[in-house]
Amino acid sequence: MFDNYVFSENTCKNVLNKKGEVNGFEIKTLITYYRGIPLSMVHDVKVEVDGVEVPRESIKFSPNGEDYFTLDEMETVTTYKWEYGQEATAFVEKEGGLSKGEHDVKLTTVIRVAYIPVPFEGTRTRKVVIE
Amino acid sequence: MSNIKRSVSFYSLQDQYARGKMNLEDIFKFLKEIGAEMEFISDQMMKGSPHPSEESLKEWDRLMSEYKVKPVCNDIFINTCLYKNRTLTTKESTDALIEEIKLANRLGFKLIRLVSKTPPEIIEPALPYAEKYDVTLAIEIHGGMSFDHPMTKAFIDVIQKTKSPYLGIVVDAGIFCRRHPRVATNYFRSLGVNEDVIKYIDDIFAQGTDPKQYFTKLGGRPKELLDLCKTELDHMYTIFADGYEVSDFSILDEHMPYLKHIHGKVYEMTDEGVEYSIPYDEFIKYLDKKGYVGYISTEYEGNRFTLDGAEVKELEQVKKHQEMLKKYIDELGR
Repeated sequence: MFDNYVFSENTCKNVLNKKGEVNGFEIKTLITYYRGIPLSMVHDVKVEVDGVEVPRESIKFSPNGEDYFTLDEMETVTTYKWEYGQEATAFVEKEGGLSKGEHDVKLTTVIRVAYIPVPFEGTRTRKVVIE
Repeated sequence: MSNIKRSVSFYSLQDQYARGKMNLEDIFKFLKEIGAEMEFISDQMMKGSPHPSEESLKEWDRLMSEYKVKPVCNDIFINTCLYKNRTLTTKESTDALIEEIKLANRLGFKLIRLVSKTPPEIIEPALPYAEKYDVTLAIEIHGGMSFDHPMTKAFIDVIQKTKSPYLGIVVDAGIFCRRHPRVATNYFRSLGVNEDVIKYIDDIFAQGTDPKQYFTKLGGRPKELLDLCKTELDHMYTIFADGYEVSDFSILDEHMPYLKHIHGKVYEMTDEGVEYSIPYDEFIKYLDKKGYVGYISTEYEGNRFTLDGAEVKELEQVKKHQEMLKKYIDELGR
């Protein structure tokens, strides 16, 4: 249904902090829905690496690549929208980032919509090679 | 006398937009080319809605004056689930609707489509704003949430009680299916839904009824069907099947006075130039007989059932649907 939009191809990569150290990795994704929504309606974001789910607290989410929110913070963020057609960034804090080699990385985004009784999700696993 | 006109919902072109293949201007151009007017979804293609930037509004004004596509309807949503821990109050939801009315007016729309299950209690408090800004509010009658849904009923009660010309309904043609959309079947088949479940659902349609009515009559999905469902996906398929209704056109008879707009749902335009599930030739004859004055807006939903890795063929599908509508409308000789 919307799984075609989650986890943009070739976007999973390690990220450097201001000191130039790898402090995590990021994934970009379009919204798994057909319109933009306030960030507070993003019900959940989950990331798995090689079958192991990363801790919820290590995920930060940004609708514009500039301002990042933890998933707990995001619950009250109503003035930023995740716009339709705009890639959001899911950042996972992890010292050293993903190790060199091939990984199965899975991203799941879950969204709340008023006229659909349960939150619905989009999910996709991609093979990611870190060089 | 009827006056049936054609528009295209930008819903149909969402994949082109999301993937950056078409921007707003390209979509305006496309509409101009095929001679259709516009149904918009402000949350989809106008950033920051319902409070877009001055820059976005300036660009909108430019496109409107350059392409002269008529703004027929804006589709909006009240985010009653804005917060995880509570539902918006009536006041909050009403205020949200008022902002949408103001935006619709600013963009030049005189009609708002409210999504099914919009809280009916916010309509009367917002009505003075609808009048002031000259914007009609119409609830969508959509498969799975149509006339028998309590929230749809409650909305129609408000229309009948107030008798306001600023209230009405938008009917989605998906309530007039005659068989399960083949593209949806094939999509779920590709994900692994078992053939017995597919056949069971197809057989319900073959009897001239739909899964929602059939299950309701039996007090839920029957044991024989549940026994066929081996996976979560099988169950999901039977639940989604509720969204395709087989109603007689006469279900609209009593609602014609406040029928404001129609979503011309398209799951699949076939090589023969017809919609696979919905008999548009009969539908248009019915609307003509009833003297419908308004638009049928192509809403292509086959995008949802495009197989993984395949390209969404929305431009071709929208064109085909518009050609079909034009043919049937022309044949009326009005």
